[in-house]
Amino acid sequence: MELSTFGAIVGFAMELERAAESYYQGCAEAAHPEVFLALARESKKRCARLEMARREGISEMILEAITGLSSEGYQLDLPLQADPSELLRRACLLEETQERFYRAATEKLPIKEVQRTFLRLAAENERRLSELRELQS
Amino acid sequence: MVIRTMQNYIDGSWVESQTDRFLDVRNPATKEILGRVPLSLPQEAQLAAQAAQAAFLGWRETTPYQRARYMFRLKEALEARFEDLSEMIVREHGKIIDEARGEVRRGIENIEVAAGTPSMMMGYNAEDVAAGIDEDCILQPLGVFCCVAPFNFPFMVPLWFMPYAIACGNTYIIKPSEICPLSQNMLFEILDEVDFPPGVINLVHGDKGVVDALLEHPDVKGVSFVGSTPVGRAIYAKAAKNGKRAQCQSGAKNCLVVMPDADLHGTVASILTSAFGTAGQRCLANSLIVTVGEVHERLVKPLVESAAKMRVGNGLDQSVQMGPVVSQAALDRIHRAIEQALEQGARLLLDGHDVEVIGDSNGFYIGPTIFDGVKPSMNLAQDEIFGPVLGIIHVDDFEQALDVIHQSPYGNAASLFTSQGKWAREFKYRVQAGNIGINIGIAAPIASFPFGGMKESFFGDLHGQGRDAIQFFTDRKVVISRWF
Repeated sequence: MELSTFGAIVGFAMELERAAESYYQGCAEAAHPEVFLALARESKKRCARLEMARREGISEMILEAITGLSSEGYQLDLPLQADPSELLRRACLLEETQERFYRAATEKLPIKEVQRTFLRLAAENERRLSELRELQS
Repeated sequence: MVIRTMQNYIDGSWVESQTDRFLDVRNPATKEILGRVPLSLPQEAQLAAQAAQAAFLGWRETTPYQRARYMFRLKEALEARFEDLSEMIVREHGKIIDEARGEVRRGIENIEVAAGTPSMMMGYNAEDVAAGIDEDCILQPLGVFCCVAPFNFPFMVPLWFMPYAIACGNTYIIKPSEICPLSQNMLFEILDEVDFPPGVINLVHGDKGVVDALLEHPDVKGVSFVGSTPVGRAIYAKAAKNGKRAQCQSGAKNCLVVMPDADLHGTVASILTSAFGTAGQRCLANSLIVTVGEVHERLVKPLVESAAKMRVGNGLDQSVQMGPVVSQAALDRIHRAIEQALEQGARLLLDGHDVEVIGDSNGFYIGPTIFDGVKPSMNLAQDEIFGPVLGIIHVDDFEQALDVIHQSPYGNAASLFTSQGKWAREFKYRVQAGNIGINIGIAAPIASFPFGGMKESFFGDLHGQGRDAIQFFTDRKVVISRWF
């Protein structure tokens, strides 16, 4: 789906965070409960930050159409598995995908404050990914 | 589904209107009936004025700091319902969800600025104007004020006025648009929770009868209006006749001038938002593009191509970029304007009748429409259409562009797209319009600035928002004192 409005971009980001929260809560029941529950809590807070950014960042002065960003390529398949290594692998994929999306979307957003929020979230994804990779090894 | 009939909010309570006249409130995207609004009786407006006057005496004695705290509480309550309010605006008006969120944000910004009223309504003084004699100027509230609100920003516009009025110590009555009253109803549900003293803020649904009753009531000290020029002029005249202050933000026919040195990519994006945002139903929309010299050929093709790609549909769909117009009457008026433009010889480059609506097309839809070859004498160049119809006028030079702007009786807004400071300075200096954009397609003043307007676009002295609002809602009392 083409993400051609500010609301569509932030809305898609919120969907990704909600999917992450749900996935991590499921993972916690299978393995590494402390790690995955912490990630789930963070994802919930990240979603709330995006909602606040959408609410406080919007200005009807800057509602120009956005081109060149699609949700294709950022869709995630997150089935819950019994195998902890597969859970970790998909979690790493989730964090990489989110980071890619936030960096790509930052280029398209017309509002500086929201760009900063997206870049901070991308930086957090980078940290979370390295923590998950440590667990993998 | 039960169709809810709205009530008035008078003296701190919801009150059923005694009228037998009601209007259906329809969702422009689906034509579904969302509710019924009463066209209240004049005596109901009088009751609201009496309640507001009775509340004024106590409210006026509440300290400015305490009044400001109500503003902070109201802001937090609105932030908590931000998305609900935004979705309600989409349903009653038809604008897209991002536009509705922008409207809610702008409304809340006025409350934030009004919370600074304790500083803004400070007076001034001088010692020893004569030996041993001091002189003070203090700002005092006057009493009851009212607002007659438009349909196009049904939530935001009353907040250009009401927060400042009550933060200054006045009391208030809002008469919402009878076409789009639901977001104001929701605002009052929230106001009720914030628990202002009864009578401080009141809501009376209705039409001309309610407005006339408020303009005739001896306790109403002033009126704020946003709407068409004929109605604005009539309200201004009646308010003046009855000794009331008035500020009437009225009609518009705004021009966006494109110089040969303009950044075309940015210009096209701005034109689309300016002309087709809110489906062209805004007093700051630029519905005439004035191309200067050779930029015409370079601009028109990408403009038409981009406009043709705009996604039109239900504003709750986040992928949609333009919603329907507000009513069947609006759609019929726009169709007539398009026919007239064709008859008068304008060249139709993009026909909004052909638009492919995303999803359910059973709404008041017309797509972006663009005419070239428009002459200043055509109705398309002179009449406020209030829809997504854009006309392009081609001129040879900057002076001719100013002539096009100034031939209009209106003076609400004007924009210039250029990369040269000298054209920007000339434009800013000479154009007779109240809201000027330099490389800005929608010159919407932020809450701490007045919302401008000149000529037939504004009747009054003081505008809404910012410091103008404080001046409008207070009187100056000069005190000269001496002690023996």
